[in-house]
Amino acid sequence: MAALGVTRCFFRRSHQLKKVETKYIVGLGWVLRRHGSVDSQSSNQPSLESQKLMFSDEKVQSILTRITGLDLQKVFRPVKMEMKPPSYHLMTDEQLSEATKTAEEAARQRLQMPPVLPERKPICDILAVDKVLDGLEKSKYVFTDITFNVPHRERFIVIRESDGTLRKATWEERDRMVQIYFPFKGRRLTTPAVFKEANMKVVFLEDRHELLLDHCLVQFEPDSAEYKQIHHLTYENIDQHGKYDLLRSTRHFGGMVWYLVSERRIDGLIIDMIQRDLIHDAESVVELYHMMYPQCQSAKEASEQQASGIELLKVYARTESKQSGYIELALQVYPQISLQTSG
Amino acid sequence: LLKHYHGGHVAIRLALGGCVNRPFYRIVAAYNKRARDGKYIEQLGSYDPLPNIYNEKLVSFNYDRIKYWLACGAHPTKPVAKLLGLAGFFPLHPMTVTNAERLRRISETKSIQPPAAEEGQKTEQQPTESA
Repeated sequence: MAALGVTRCFFRRSHQLKKVETKYIVGLGWVLRRHGSVDSQSSNQPSLESQKLMFSDEKVQSILTRITGLDLQKVFRPVKMEMKPPSYHLMTDEQLSEATKTAEEAARQRLQMPPVLPERKPICDILAVDKVLDGLEKSKYVFTDITFNVPHRERFIVIRESDGTLRKATWEERDRMVQIYFPFKGRRLTTPAVFKEANMKVVFLEDRHELLLDHCLVQFEPDSAEYKQIHHLTYENIDQHGKYDLLRSTRHFGGMVWYLVSERRIDGLIIDMIQRDLIHDAESVVELYHMMYPQCQSAKEASEQQASGIELLKVYARTESKQSGYIELALQVYPQISLQTSG
Repeated sequence: LLKHYHGGHVAIRLALGGCVNRPFYRIVAAYNKRARDGKYIEQLGSYDPLPNIYNEKLVSFNYDRIKYWLACGAHPTKPVAKLLGLAGFFPLHPMTVTNAERLRRISETKSIQPPAAEEGQKTEQQPTESA
């Protein structure tokens, strides 16, 4: 029955967000290449900054993809879309396994993590000052370049103020102009009311963090201040209430883990993983923590003792964590649970 | 209809569109002899003369294609040349500068006259009050 359900979900036509995601991923290639080149330049200089762990490192990405998991039932769960009669296919076991494999490939494509970029610096470049034009016009002129083959980040968007200065447009103005002339599907010109603090709290109470983050991904650029703020608020709410499972098999799980690791608040996450019998994931999280902060006490002890597996978790619980009691309790309970499930 | 013009040239000009009391211009490369809003060769941009809620007038240019048509010998009209001057693509149009200076002169004379008029009014009021 479950297998039938999987194939039915897979053979549905792609829903709105999938189309948006593929366009988004293609468009982000330019940004990622630019940031990739910055990393290669900095790695030539032997300094502290080059040793800082980046979200886009291969080791980090592999750990995060492993932790995210691949729950096909959750990834391909029914989504509100156009009514269409379902299609049923009669298959042999081999065909079924092949269909499951293609479903897994599609799921992996959907679980691609949006990048975590440093916040964009404000643009304040003045190109010309013409005092002659002061007072001629009461309103500003915004000149956009609509050449088709230019990436949106490199477009010329220039503003002539009413006092005659010709300056480059700020990031908010740029986003607005690009959305007017090259509309991105699903994006609004004015910020939707969902992203206000009070309304976000209501969304969190209804446990719809994933939908909020998907909407945020469509609406904002990944290095804008609002995008970062919304994501941080969501992650903090999840951490406060321990609702890590909401994001578990989604594309936002990696970003959440990265945020918690950089804030040094992985205790709740580890306890949740141990309680759900995901010891390997908990070990990966602690490994990531040690990769990011190699100077911390637990990292040094772990490297001395060559700890791995549950020993690693115990070292971390003893040294760095603030909720060491909870972690040790959970570790004590874990073998009993595993015996019960196996027995 | 493929029309062959004798002695005509391509112009980069504004074609008016929109609704009543709501103009909207398209910046267009068209033959000189065609109707203002008629068949054009290529649209090169747009100009919205009414400011929006952020007090901005939106202008778009396809600089790549404008460069091509200018290289082919197209003539831009005065308003298009002024807009391109304000954008920084062309040097500032002399009429833009002239109009700015004229406006400044008028506003200066206006600012000198009211103080003189106010003084005149005040001197009139005092004699009437005294009388």
